[in-house]
Amino acid sequence: MSLRTLGSRVAQLAIVLVAVTFGCALLARLLPVDLAELLLPVGTDVDRAIFRKQLGLDKNVVAYYLDWLGRFVRGDFGDIYFSGGTEPVADRIARALPRSVLLMVYTQVVSLAVAIPLGVWSAYRVGRRADRAINNSLFVISAVPSFAIGLTLIILLGVRWQLLPTLDYVPLSDGLWPHLSHMIMPVLSLSVGLVAVYTRLLRADMVAVLREDYITMAASKGLSNTRILWCHALRPASITLFTSAALNMGALIGGAIVIETIFATYGIGFEIFLAIQGRQYLAIQSLVALIAIFYVVFNLAVDVLAGYVDPRTRDRRLRG
Amino acid sequence: MADATTRRTPITTRLTYGWLGLVVVVAVVGPWLPLPDWNTVYDDALGVGPFTQGHLLGTDGNGYDLLLGLVSGARLSVFIAVVAVGLGGLIGGVLGIVAAYVRGRLDTTITTSFNVILSVPNLVLALALVAVFATNVDVTETIAPWRRVFTLIVSLTVVIIPILGRISRGSALAWTSREFVLAAQTMGMRTRDIIWRHIVPNVLPAMIAVAFLAVGVVIIAEASLSILGVGVADGASWGGMIARGRNDLDYYPHVVLVPVVVLALTAICTNHVGDLIRARLDRREARI
Repeated sequence: MSLRTLGSRVAQLAIVLVAVTFGCALLARLLPVDLAELLLPVGTDVDRAIFRKQLGLDKNVVAYYLDWLGRFVRGDFGDIYFSGGTEPVADRIARALPRSVLLMVYTQVVSLAVAIPLGVWSAYRVGRRADRAINNSLFVISAVPSFAIGLTLIILLGVRWQLLPTLDYVPLSDGLWPHLSHMIMPVLSLSVGLVAVYTRLLRADMVAVLREDYITMAASKGLSNTRILWCHALRPASITLFTSAALNMGALIGGAIVIETIFATYGIGFEIFLAIQGRQYLAIQSLVALIAIFYVVFNLAVDVLAGYVDPRTRDRRLRG
Repeated sequence: MADATTRRTPITTRLTYGWLGLVVVVAVVGPWLPLPDWNTVYDDALGVGPFTQGHLLGTDGNGYDLLLGLVSGARLSVFIAVVAVGLGGLIGGVLGIVAAYVRGRLDTTITTSFNVILSVPNLVLALALVAVFATNVDVTETIAPWRRVFTLIVSLTVVIIPILGRISRGSALAWTSREFVLAAQTMGMRTRDIIWRHIVPNVLPAMIAVAFLAVGVVIIAEASLSILGVGVADGASWGGMIARGRNDLDYYPHVVLVPVVVLALTAICTNHVGDLIRARLDRREARI
């Protein structure tokens, strides 16, 4: 990717980010309720006036947005208000983000560890019965919602056989098994669908690559099938797979709301859920902005990295 | 591929159409079926398992019959999904086609707005919109059921618009550059007629294929919102049944499993239909 296209991509993403965050601010201001009264139900009128002044609620939307943006970039994500006082959203994020990131990393590792061998093998046996069976069952699996898998796992592993804890999160510092045992079910629920998606992507590209001349060449030189598949075909065939995997990284942080809620993982998605339930509109504004930033930044990273991983990306696009 | 049209329809395809047909028929004629009300309490059969005499799919811990719940839930789940995808497809389709045909600054604006919406995960967006739209001036006042349904539909429509909008833009872009469009332009055909007669009929099949996938997405999103407690009132939709069953997971797992299986089956079937349409399209494109 040339510097110029990179520049225009960054500019585009900046526009998207500004629009998303402004949209969040707009939604917070469009509410038919007075935020000061909602968040400070027992405060005096003086308290509320100070509150409005501090947050820029007395100004128009644009000025309010700029105020908010100024605080946001300095790491002040607003407060969560409850009857006993306030708690900075930044503290909540500091607690939730590592959990969401770990959940995402485990999910990706498990999904890719299953999907890559499965995809390679299925492409190698393309058209055969095994390939068709894998492909068809993965198609069915890819349509099953993650909460369906999560709830089924809870019923079987958590309730019926009492093998795994069904709620909460335990940090790694409290021991490896307690940590992992709390992560297995959420990770599995998220992975099953991803395995289906990844395998199908890899298989499609792999089938195309295996038809290329240089593969025939390698085979006629007498290289073993294993070597051809893993050393010659996998890398060029994995571009789409890794693009999709990287995009999912952004989506999994905060996008795993239902799974984080079912298993009470207290990640970013669960924090959003709590904020929405507690009508903490200022917290919602910052959390949604944060998630959009993750998504957009991963998006850009994918574009930049794709050029490095596969130098042919550009002429391949030209060839269509 | 020549025998593809002459080959008999595979059994899986027939089952898929059968299941979707059943769901739609039940959703439409449900209220007129000679069945008891779904929230009749059978206190002589609390939490009985599936295949019990009189309760084909069993009852939950409160004595609600699950089959009756599914039948009445189908109406709301299907209604929300069809309306949200229909509206989203209409708005997204118009925006996408106009963007592709007009190009220039309008195209940039529309594409950027799609990207903005797509940069927030589906569910986060729907959740935030529901939270905002379903807020009353008086916070303690409860929200009327019709308003909850309306809010859900609006929020899910917003989620669907960029998905179908992108598809229609991409497809329209490819068709706009074809010779017959150029020919129509040269002959002085009105823009409105070109779009209506030449672009729309060609873009529509691609959109319908994705619309089926979108119906699956919306049904799952609606269920997810119910699980999170912001969907329609308890038990009125399939998602509502799952949400309510979660409380009794320890004692009556079938109360959750039954709606989950029905939901997953429906999602699988809509995906399959979308895939079939796309496969047929690809074959047609390949012939041209």
